[in-house]
Amino acid sequence: MADSHEAQDPEAQVSEAQIAVHWREEEYYPPPPSFVAQANANDPAIFNRFAEDKFPGCFKEYADLLDWDAPWHTTLDISNPPFWKWFVGGRLNASYNCVDRHAAANPDKTAIIFVPELESDEHVAISYSQLHEQVNEFAALLRDSLGLQAGDRVTLHMPMVPELPVTMLACARLGVIHSQVFGGFSGAACGHRIADSGSRFLITMDGYYRGGQLTDHKIKADEAVAAARQEGQEVEKVLIWRRRPGQYASQAPMIQGRDMFVDELIARHQGQAVEPVSMPAEAPLFLMYTSGTTGRPKGCQHSTGGYLAYVTGTSRYYQDIHPDDVYWCMADIGWITGHSYIVYGPLALGTTTVVYEGVPNYPDGGRPWRIAEKLGVNIFHTSPTAIRMLRKVGPEEPKKYNYHFKHMTTVGEPIEPEVWRWYHSEVGKGEAAIVDTWWQTENGGFLGSTLPALQPMKPGSCGPGVLGVYPVIYDEDGNEVPKGSGKAGNICIRNPWPGIFQTIWGQPERFVDTYYRKYNRNPDSADWRDWPYFAGDGAVQAADGYFRILGRVDDVINVAGHRLGTKEIESAALTVPEVAEAAAVPVIDDIRGRVVEMYVALKPGFQPSTEMEGKVSKAIETEIGKIARPKNVWIVLDMPKTRSGKIMRRVIASISNFADVGDVTTLANPEIVEDIRHHVQTAKVAKDDVPRQLTEAEFEEIKKFGSE
Amino acid sequence: MARAGGPAMGMTRQYLAGELSVLLGHLQAATTTEASGRDAWSLRQAAESEPVTALGSVTIRALALTERLCWDSLNRGDIAAFNRQAAVCAELHDFGVFAGLLKDG
Repeated sequence: MADSHEAQDPEAQVSEAQIAVHWREEEYYPPPPSFVAQANANDPAIFNRFAEDKFPGCFKEYADLLDWDAPWHTTLDISNPPFWKWFVGGRLNASYNCVDRHAAANPDKTAIIFVPELESDEHVAISYSQLHEQVNEFAALLRDSLGLQAGDRVTLHMPMVPELPVTMLACARLGVIHSQVFGGFSGAACGHRIADSGSRFLITMDGYYRGGQLTDHKIKADEAVAAARQEGQEVEKVLIWRRRPGQYASQAPMIQGRDMFVDELIARHQGQAVEPVSMPAEAPLFLMYTSGTTGRPKGCQHSTGGYLAYVTGTSRYYQDIHPDDVYWCMADIGWITGHSYIVYGPLALGTTTVVYEGVPNYPDGGRPWRIAEKLGVNIFHTSPTAIRMLRKVGPEEPKKYNYHFKHMTTVGEPIEPEVWRWYHSEVGKGEAAIVDTWWQTENGGFLGSTLPALQPMKPGSCGPGVLGVYPVIYDEDGNEVPKGSGKAGNICIRNPWPGIFQTIWGQPERFVDTYYRKYNRNPDSADWRDWPYFAGDGAVQAADGYFRILGRVDDVINVAGHRLGTKEIESAALTVPEVAEAAAVPVIDDIRGRVVEMYVALKPGFQPSTEMEGKVSKAIETEIGKIARPKNVWIVLDMPKTRSGKIMRRVIASISNFADVGDVTTLANPEIVEDIRHHVQTAKVAKDDVPRQLTEAEFEEIKKFGSE
Repeated sequence: MARAGGPAMGMTRQYLAGELSVLLGHLQAATTTEASGRDAWSLRQAAESEPVTALGSVTIRALALTERLCWDSLNRGDIAAFNRQAAVCAELHDFGVFAGLLKDG
């Protein structure tokens, strides 16, 4: 049953800026001397090497960690801002750098340890020479059986198994752009991404273990192919790895002529070698899709040279990876963390990386620590969500096991100081240096973190910008928010860095609009200083230069200085049992800046009434506070929606502000727009509640509202 | 009543969309009618395609759906279905709290 949660005092709700002011400064934790002594970056001279006056040449230090087929002639090409190009003229192959050079130098060294979810199944160690063989054979299959070549896109929908990095590296060997979709996503979500990337091939698996159950995964491939077809993209072949070769774990039938088992096909390519294709540094390596879209998925395109150099450098200095370490990042390779810090970064450094199939609490909360003990893991990397869960289900478990981490990472979301302290004292046994990292799918690698041997840890803060990356906080008007002011703002990066994504696949205008337009000083400028990167997170910077990340800043309505998240308001409205859908939009108000108007659609069988409007208003006031009380609650028959079902908030925001709604012909239900407009604007005219003519800036704000 | 988490829990959090999608897949499998299956499916689509800031709202709606399913199963005396649905509900709730999508109380 849905649990009961106590309502907080509505007046206790405060804006992000106030939260920042009220947060107490946490104490510093120095890294252990034993860690400092062995760290890759333990000489403070490194800060000078990456000082701002050394930009962009400082990143040669990262690129020099790789083997290049041809040297670059231009470190950073800024001729077409903000489409930055790194290491132009250079040529390399990512697969060669992650596999071949280590297989040649140290063939028996373990590259990947696969830990199946079932504890009764023994773990599997794959050496660099075995990885080399597997990658070559699969690359041969892709090239010779499917005809794939450099620049083609292939969608992967695979679980956490070693066949996933093998597949990625085989693609990279050929210059084929891989697009891995998180294995837990539905077939439909995979299909949308297939269609967007124009993939003609899907690589998947028949099944995998999660929570102790063998999950039928191939069935999703059929859904994905159907969803892609609906969007006009035909999938020609589906390659299916079998979780246990020779045994089929799915109930879904194989489709004759389309579906093929990898373990049968690959027999034809046994022992075959494929020369790595020498790729330009700026050639795309992979696509990684993110949500936060207006219906069309957002495929972040990452480069070969810049990306690989950046994740290798940050793995060396911030993860402190040495070749003899056993490194375990508990993320899923389906996300950017897994790409950068399970596969490409660790393997480029020739270390041993652990791939765990299942959930961390199966069969109990001691599982991660048993794995760490058994494998001798000494670097551990996970998210605050997993830390909170492990702390809840087994707070005493870590001390039962004899493992020792020298280094730990937290990634993906801000971590509360009390959770950080448990991670440090219980999981790390007080022996490990911790990095609390801030970055995003779009960024390739870390943007904010302490350098573990040289900068002390501070619970709840990610630290300063990483080497060669210069963050800044801007207010809404583009003024810099000084450090130590206690004021929150939008965290941006002043300079390009090699790991930054190149564009949104097939949507270059959206790339510029979303990430660079907001604080661009001159659209004609070819000076990178005029193109700060807008990360979309709120943050506050302490006097010591450490950043504390607050959260996403999009979809916020600023009412009299209080930044109200629209999703929070909508969630509050949805606590009214009769409400089926809710959307909060801003209306220009001369006194309070913006006020909230609420649109709700009721479940079948319920009728609009002033009582219902009152219930919605009261729910929002109770859940969030009086500041969020909507000026009007409009009960509508339906919301204007895209064909994928997303509510078009910009359309209803325009109606509330008496602004042009723009083109609505592509909506799933364009006829509803005129009904809503008539209903709302007639009522507002009758109440003498018509907002004044919008300024150009206000019109732009309304037009873009909810577009990301 | 469950409540969405506050603004201090942000950043990219793409993986939370993934985990929520998996749990909504479990919810879909635990439905007993075509209509509730469609409701679970649309929630899963929302988790996979809407901004991560919407995940709190999706979680709350999913919990409301599981509560409805549980009551329906109890009313029908279908204990097996109730047990499956209650297990999904517990998973969703715990995940929501650990991920900061719900405020615990």
